[in-house]
Amino acid sequence: MIAIEELSKSWAAGPVLRDVSLVVKEGDVTALVGPSGGGKSTLLRCLNGLELFDAGTISIAGHRLAEGGHPPALLERLRRDVGLVFQQFNLFPNMSVLENVALAPRSVARLPAEEARSRALALLERVGLGSFAAARPVTLSGGQQQRVAIARALAMQPRVMLFDEPTSALDPAMSAEVLDVIGDLARGGQTMLIVTHDHGFARRAANRVVELVAGRVVRQGSAADLLE
Amino acid sequence: MTARLLLPLAPVIVFVLAAAPAATAELDEVVARGEFIWAADQEGGGPHVFPDPERPERLTGFEVELAALIAAELGVKPRFQQGQWDRLPLLLGRAADCVINGIELLPERRRDYHCSRPYFAYSLQLLARRDGPLDAFEKLAAPGPGGRWRVGVLTGSAAEIFMRSQADLEVDVIGYDGTIDSLEQVTSHVLDAAVMDDCIFNFYADRFAALRVVGRPFAGGLYTILTPRDTPRLSAAIDDALGRIIADGRLKSLYDRWDLAGRQQILALRDAAEIPPAGRRSLRQLAGEVLPLLLKSAGMTLLLSISAFPLAILIGLAIAIGRLHGPPILRPLLAGYVEVLRGTPLMLQLYAIFFLLPKVGLALPAIVAALAGLALNYSAYEAEIYRAGLKAVPPGQFEAALSLGMTKWQALRHVIVPQAVRLVMPPVTNDFIALFKDTSVCSVITVVELTKRYSVLALSTGRIVELAIVTALLYLAMSWPLALLSRWFEGQSEKHS
Repeated sequence: MIAIEELSKSWAAGPVLRDVSLVVKEGDVTALVGPSGGGKSTLLRCLNGLELFDAGTISIAGHRLAEGGHPPALLERLRRDVGLVFQQFNLFPNMSVLENVALAPRSVARLPAEEARSRALALLERVGLGSFAAARPVTLSGGQQQRVAIARALAMQPRVMLFDEPTSALDPAMSAEVLDVIGDLARGGQTMLIVTHDHGFARRAANRVVELVAGRVVRQGSAADLLE
Repeated sequence: MTARLLLPLAPVIVFVLAAAPAATAELDEVVARGEFIWAADQEGGGPHVFPDPERPERLTGFEVELAALIAAELGVKPRFQQGQWDRLPLLLGRAADCVINGIELLPERRRDYHCSRPYFAYSLQLLARRDGPLDAFEKLAAPGPGGRWRVGVLTGSAAEIFMRSQADLEVDVIGYDGTIDSLEQVTSHVLDAAVMDDCIFNFYADRFAALRVVGRPFAGGLYTILTPRDTPRLSAAIDDALGRIIADGRLKSLYDRWDLAGRQQILALRDAAEIPPAGRRSLRQLAGEVLPLLLKSAGMTLLLSISAFPLAILIGLAIAIGRLHGPPILRPLLAGYVEVLRGTPLMLQLYAIFFLLPKVGLALPAIVAALAGLALNYSAYEAEIYRAGLKAVPPGQFEAALSLGMTKWQALRHVIVPQAVRLVMPPVTNDFIALFKDTSVCSVITVVELTKRYSVLALSTGRIVELAIVTALLYLAMSWPLALLSRWFEGQSEKHS
């Protein structure tokens, strides 16, 4: 589902990714771990074209990215198949919770309003927030906001879900509710790549672990082996 | 509550009180000062008072020489004071001892000021294009080929008063702030004709070779020197001085030098008949006539602002989006648009649209030109506000929208622009109030809005202070709801942030 080959990228300050290669198979839940500044988030952002890279190739959900700029049409097709959840949720404050989730099905997938709405409501039920459909995002707790963000990304029925430190901005209680939702998705067979610091969670939810240190893959293998 | 509501009015009241006439300078003060300050508008032009074409920093004109003669008679030096022509009398007692600038002797002026014995006899003259259909004054009695005749005059002049009093003519009278603005507009086919004092057209005839005089001069009158009513000795001294200048032939030789029909002039001035002062109507009478006019002009002010501002917002938003997200080659052009419109005065832009565009074949009606000028000028400010607003939306919002597969334009439309619009609501409402007041600038292109109507009515009725209060109240009645709206928006955006 994801194949990264010898990906390299440098900022002005120096290299951030060096010859990174890794594979995520369909149905895999891969945790991307490692110290801060190791390039985890940058790698994730390269996967859906939010960042460009200098060398190597990415193949993700049937789309191929090479170094240099990407054509906008390619990125739009790719991003429909690749969901991304941010550390800071990035919900749209100018819309209700329901509108946040229904916007992409409506404007990108061009579903009829009623269908987009019922799909959004079903996803909100799935993350346990059906009763918050009419609320504004600012009135929700951090954990609730992140669950809405997950529902929003799922609304495009992506083949791959990417998570960028989804619980780093949350306290333990709120983290737990978000991790429950992600664990639920894992059991449902959703292919996922999750950047996280939480080794306990990585061990429980992920079947594979990749450790990135100073832009290099230093270890990868099954979660059970690596995180013991 | 009443006190709280009235408190913001205090500056207006103070201003109006301060505008009441201050102490005026009598003859002895003028003599002690050694200077005789006379007011005129050099923009009014020749042959009265205008910058010397060879030495533009020096003023020339027959009234400059007349002022020098009178000053010499008083034993002092003349000093020129610049003012806008239709508001020159307001300088009396404050910045000037008298006004010498082609002021026609009219009953309204005799009511409000001391008018000296006349020093010049003028006639009104109708002017039109040589190749146009208007070749006789009588033709104005029936509609022309393009409907009612459009005739330009100088605002506040005898020509305007005369033309507006001719109810049986098929004529729309349009007032201009500059003497020869109307000639320009006849040349560029915006007007059918102009009416002005014959001496003015004679002076500029060479410059407007495409125009001709239509019929004989008509409805003549006399120029007078205005002084305040409360300086009788100064007024008498000026009358005496004029009498001596006329009697000993110095005025005649002055007019001969300026080619202003010497002999006929002097006869007319010697036999000048007294014009009785106009009566002062009661406030109640006045209210019935004046209030409807003021309300109608307030409507024009409102119409201009509520039609120009939405246009300014749309153009501004488009420019802001273009500068941040448009094609790179377009961005410097848009930046240039903003800098040019923001860096030049609104008045100049209105002039360009109204007076210069007709020269390249695009003659816009005054209201359309005013709307275009206001919308374009304010679009530059709105563009900057919206640019700041768009940049203030966190970048994560754009990334989140793109990550869902939206195009750049979908992300802008659904996510970024709605948030930016809410962020900039307070400064935008603020600009709406600013534009609302800037509509008064449109009077330079003949649009009669509230401020213009006020100054016209104040001069014709002599009720300067009373009408100022009414006008200020009308402005407040319109802008106060806007201020409340602005505060409400601020409250709303604070709630959401």
